Amino acid sequence: MNRFFIYLTLIFIFSCNEEKIDKPLKTTDTDLLVVEAVLTNEKMNHRIKLSRPYQELNGNNEPASGANVVVIEGNEKVYVTVESPVGSGNYFTEEMTAVFGKQYLLFIQFEGKEFFAVAGSVPVEPMPELEYNEAEGGLYRLQLNDSGEGPNYVDYHVSWAGTPECQTGALCEGRLVYYDLKTIDVNSLFKPDKEDFLFPANSVVVRRKYSVSSGYKTFLRSVLSETEWRGGAFDVQRENVPTNLSAGGIGFFAVSTVLSDTTIIVEKP
Amino acid sequence: MLIPDKSVHRLGRFFSGLLLLLLMAYSSTAQENFQNARLSLDFQSISLEEALDIISNQSGASFSYNPRKIPGDQKITYEASEKTLIEILDALSSIASFEYETVEGKIVLKPKANNPERQKSTLSGFIKDNSNGEALIGASIWIEELKVGTTSNVFGFFSLTVPSATYDISFSYVGFNGLVRRIDLQISQTQNVSMQMAPALLDEIVVTSFEPQLVSEIQVSKTNWRPATISEKPSFFGEPDAVKSLEMVPGIKMHSDGSTFYYVRGGNRDQNMIIIDDAPIFNPSHLLGLFSTIIPDAVNDITLYKGSMPASLGGRLSSIMDVRTRKGNNQQFELSGNVALLSSKLSLEGPIKKGKSSFLLSSRVSRVKWIFALFNDDIKDFQFHDLTGKVNFDLSQDDKLYFSFYNGGDKFLTSNNGIEWSNRATTVRWNHVFSKRLFLNTTLAAGVYDYFLHTDRSTQTKWNSHLSNVNLKGDFSYFKNPNEEFDFGLSIGGYNFNPGNVSRKGSPIPPVVSVRNSNEFVLYGNHEIKLGNHWSLNYGLRISTWTNEGEAFEFVFDNNRNPVDTLFFKKGDKYKNYQNIEPRITVSYNINDNNSFKVSASRNVQNIHLITNSISPFSSFEVWLPSSVNIKPQAANQLVLGYYHYIPNTGLSFEVESFYKEMKNQIDYEAHAETLLNPLLERELRFGAAKGYGIEFQMKKEEGRLRSWVGYSYSRAKGKFPGVNNGKEFNTFYDRPHQVNITMSYDINLRWNIGMNWNYYTGAPYSSPVSFYNFNGLEIPVYGQKNNDRLPDYHRLDLSATLNLNKNVESRFKHNLIFSIYNFYNQKNALFVNYNKTEQQDGGFKVPSNLLDKNTVSTQFYLFQFTPSIAYNFKWK
Repeated sequence: MNRFFIYLTLIFIFSCNEEKIDKPLKTTDTDLLVVEAVLTNEKMNHRIKLSRPYQELNGNNEPASGANVVVIEGNEKVYVTVESPVGSGNYFTEEMTAVFGKQYLLFIQFEGKEFFAVAGSVPVEPMPELEYNEAEGGLYRLQLNDSGEGPNYVDYHVSWAGTPECQTGALCEGRLVYYDLKTIDVNSLFKPDKEDFLFPANSVVVRRKYSVSSGYKTFLRSVLSETEWRGGAFDVQRENVPTNLSAGGIGFFAVSTVLSDTTIIVEKP
Repeated sequence: MLIPDKSVHRLGRFFSGLLLLLLMAYSSTAQENFQNARLSLDFQSISLEEALDIISNQSGASFSYNPRKIPGDQKITYEASEKTLIEILDALSSIASFEYETVEGKIVLKPKANNPERQKSTLSGFIKDNSNGEALIGASIWIEELKVGTTSNVFGFFSLTVPSATYDISFSYVGFNGLVRRIDLQISQTQNVSMQMAPALLDEIVVTSFEPQLVSEIQVSKTNWRPATISEKPSFFGEPDAVKSLEMVPGIKMHSDGSTFYYVRGGNRDQNMIIIDDAPIFNPSHLLGLFSTIIPDAVNDITLYKGSMPASLGGRLSSIMDVRTRKGNNQQFELSGNVALLSSKLSLEGPIKKGKSSFLLSSRVSRVKWIFALFNDDIKDFQFHDLTGKVNFDLSQDDKLYFSFYNGGDKFLTSNNGIEWSNRATTVRWNHVFSKRLFLNTTLAAGVYDYFLHTDRSTQTKWNSHLSNVNLKGDFSYFKNPNEEFDFGLSIGGYNFNPGNVSRKGSPIPPVVSVRNSNEFVLYGNHEIKLGNHWSLNYGLRISTWTNEGEAFEFVFDNNRNPVDTLFFKKGDKYKNYQNIEPRITVSYNINDNNSFKVSASRNVQNIHLITNSISPFSSFEVWLPSSVNIKPQAANQLVLGYYHYIPNTGLSFEVESFYKEMKNQIDYEAHAETLLNPLLERELRFGAAKGYGIEFQMKKEEGRLRSWVGYSYSRAKGKFPGVNNGKEFNTFYDRPHQVNITMSYDINLRWNIGMNWNYYTGAPYSSPVSFYNFNGLEIPVYGQKNNDRLPDYHRLDLSATLNLNKNVESRFKHNLIFSIYNFYNQKNALFVNYNKTEQQDGGFKVPSNLLDKNTVSTQFYLFQFTPSIAYNFKWK
């Protein structure tokens, strides 16, 4: 389907253009707390990242340090988090598993304000086998496809650090996320072109497929509308991405079920 | 479920009564039809009694008179050839000094009263272009001696009632030779007037002896232009475009380059209606909006109302573009065509019976497929087309029948998927002149719009949104005298809405979005009167009833917009109706023949709503919904104050209008609303208010060697919606305060014409980020106030040159070449500003894939730069 729309947008090839501009942003300080927290069914110390927004493109979130962060599992169990390292804004739970069928409450106290959010997970569907194609120059690219019936996304971490193509000092890894939200959106159908991501043979690909609940789907759909889907020929009104955090918070607290696997890219004859 | 409303029934009874009265009036007139029988008489000094007997025998009319008051033996001499009974009686009444009236089917003669007010005659008829028989719409008929006049209506019909006498009567129309006829109006007369197009002259002569329409008409915010005006304007890819020529009009904001969307006086784009011969066109775009559907070649006249529309028109808050197609040359066959870079046009017209009936067929087909086939051999269909046709018949002096249709569409299909949309419109019209003062136009019009997204052509799986409308209406015009006119009528129509559903081989696939049906009944009246030498008044009322009808289902939402109930309506069940009253009034003060002030107040209501949160300039997956359980009718109140000035003998006119418009029940959207395949679509809507205000200046010169439209406007457009922008007022996308439009055309000599067009407007508002944050590796913008920033100002210069290839201007084969340059100085006018792309080695920009790389930049996306084109046009007759 997307192929068709690529052809359709050829209509603009002879006429449209894009260029870099130096237009200063009308930035302002916002007293917002950014929450990035995805608990999963993996037994681990789960991270809850707290930060402040930043004012320049490609900036880094200013850590929100010194917060009290607690995760409560179904009114039964309380997981207190620890900021590690101190000053990083990364808060880790004790080792835990966020399971399907339970509700989780995130509670944050920060600079005299309280924030909370509630989330639960849905099951994840199996992943099909990883597919990849040979590209030019002996490199490879992932073939990203929809899978299953429910909304999900797959996080691909690709590393070629152990290959001869990795030059000293270079960052020989990459991360892609393929979102499959099962929605029909014009801006998604006509989304702008994405860079090609190529890697050499013998790269290691770690896949993690996340299930997406209804509320998380709404959030991610908005995130994509403002990021990967923004800049095509059929954009929608710019709006703030919704959140499940109480007033003053942005970002999202989600619980997902995750499947993962690891594949080594084999050179194709 | 029926939502009853007693007032509906009362209104229904009221309408029924009024309809009955109208039918009785029609019936009464029908009884008198014998008066219109045509007779040929030759009375040579015979008695009045004998003359009446002869008339009675020939026409079947029965006469009654008192011989003591009207001597039956008085001798009369009179000749008539193919005259109506009324014409004959008018003449005899003058000769034998009597008056007459029809009483219960008999013609009763009475002695002539000594009252000069009663001695009036009416001149009526049609004004046409003598070369092809086309109606001249808005032509002036003027009696200088009385300082009274009128204008022809959209069918070219006019009626002027004045004291019986002989007058020099002037007929004039822009671009045509003026005509003065000495007409004996001792008796009422029907005279059809044929006017001749003015030859191309290089002398700067503009002579007018009549009161300019701009000054004299009791109408504000109206712009009228003819196809020639559009054709003379430099055009994109050599395609003259009726919709895009709207950018010449102050107060109209085009969306951007590459778009047929436009915004009028602070109103959203769905508040504008385009009608072709009264049939609506719901999506006037081709190639996603690069071109519009309206081919100037098939158009006779375009009138745009930006406010205070005549009561006969309605259904939209902001504007109506009334396109009247040509009926075809009824004198001789004519073949014309055009070859431009992306499309070709061909038109054929000619008489079916010379002078009585004619036809017109005009088509356009694109030639873009081959361009795209170069990139992809999987393309199966990649084209747009238009076909416009009209047939008309003069059934009699008093009856004319027109049938017109439009069929246009776009197809962009590969072997297994693609998109497709189409507009179809059909109109059947019957014009009937009941008497010299009463005119009826009956119209049956239908419009159908479909949009398809084919997802799997092999299984016929497709998404379809649909909107159709059929409407029957009767428009009466009664020309009481030159100073007074009544227009009234009624219409009944139905709508069918499919807000987008997916089907496979015709069977629906869930989720199913409810299809809706609605009916509309409209009754209107308008009275225009001149009060003395300076003051004039035009007031009217439009009453409409909007009713929804099953089969459908509707959701009920709680205050948090959660669905709490579903209402199911069986086929034929009537539910949720709205009654709307739309008054309007315009007062005009003519300082003198060339200067006037006008003030107008009007209310408009709209019951069909475009549901889209797209900011794209291109036509996309749009759905429409009716006013119903969850959507109230949109309403607007507008106040206009204007000054109009005409500089005699120059052709120059100047107008300034200020306006203030308040709109309620306006629609905005939940953030990132899901508008496709969402059964709970109405939950995504936010309702609020909007307003527009501003001042518009325009100077026009439409005759002479140099012709131009120059306009400037300062206007604002604001919105305020609970739940949007924290409930605070914000600038809407079409708030572009300053706007300048200059269009000029100059005849260098008889073979060369040059044209230019320059547009400027303040950049459109948009929301730019005030900060960012990261989530899952993506950089997400945070917005502050809605539309807190603006795109760079827009400006563009287009140039054109037309070379007439004929050395002999009398040649039957005429052809020319049009060279045009769109965006001459290569201005990069931004459509969007993006913050999420990285620069590629080839200079392009793409969304990054690797989330570990952070090197996005700000970019602007723009369309057409310096775009030269050439088009060849020909006409043979």
